[in-house]
Amino acid sequence: MELKILYFGMIAEITNCSEEVISVFKDCNTTQLEALLEEKYRRLKDISFKIAINQIIADTNIKLKQDNEIALLPPFSGG
Amino acid sequence: MTKKKKTVFVEGPISPSFIANSIEKHQTKTSIGAHDIFLGQVRADQIDGKIVSAIEYSAYEEMAENTFHQIREETFSKFDLTCMHIYHSIGTVKSGEICLFVFVSAPHRRVTFEALEYLVERIKKDAPVFGKEIFDNQTHQWKVNQP
Repeated sequence: MELKILYFGMIAEITNCSEEVISVFKDCNTTQLEALLEEKYRRLKDISFKIAINQIIADTNIKLKQDNEIALLPPFSGG
Repeated sequence: MTKKKKTVFVEGPISPSFIANSIEKHQTKTSIGAHDIFLGQVRADQIDGKIVSAIEYSAYEEMAENTFHQIREETFSKFDLTCMHIYHSIGTVKSGEICLFVFVSAPHRRVTFEALEYLVERIKKDAPVFGKEIFDNQTHQWKVNQP
């Protein structure tokens, strides 16, 4: 299946784009996606980030669906 | 969902006249006896001999607006406030300029102190906003909020 992924802040700098569509195997979960992306973008291993699914932070390992809005969020620094 | 959804982000710095104007608008709300205001200002930090000249803010805007809305709702249910306003800059804010304006009002003072602290801490912790510190030599680093 294909997943659209949004990148923000220092992560968008590492990936050199603010969004992309990547192909993953069916029933891919957040932990597996994380490993795939860290393989593609080695510098992601050096920073801490969270994955949001449909704008909600995934605190546990969640199975992904094709129409999910997925975002990689670096540490917040508002205010 | 009693209060209507508001937009928090403003392009560039928040001007002192905008803040003054916001205070003035509350003069018609005469059940209010106390206001409390937090203003976040961009610091010209010195890091490894370089000075921060501005912060460039970006955000996962849709999620951030929803987060701000949720924080507002939770604050209203936790504290007896008459009204509450949150404005956060997006884009470039130079050092010395205001990037966050949080304004709470209530009949009496004590609740405004508590609500304001709660709000500012929640914003820093939960809003997906990202600050890029731009140095005077045009290099940059990504800011991380202190816990």
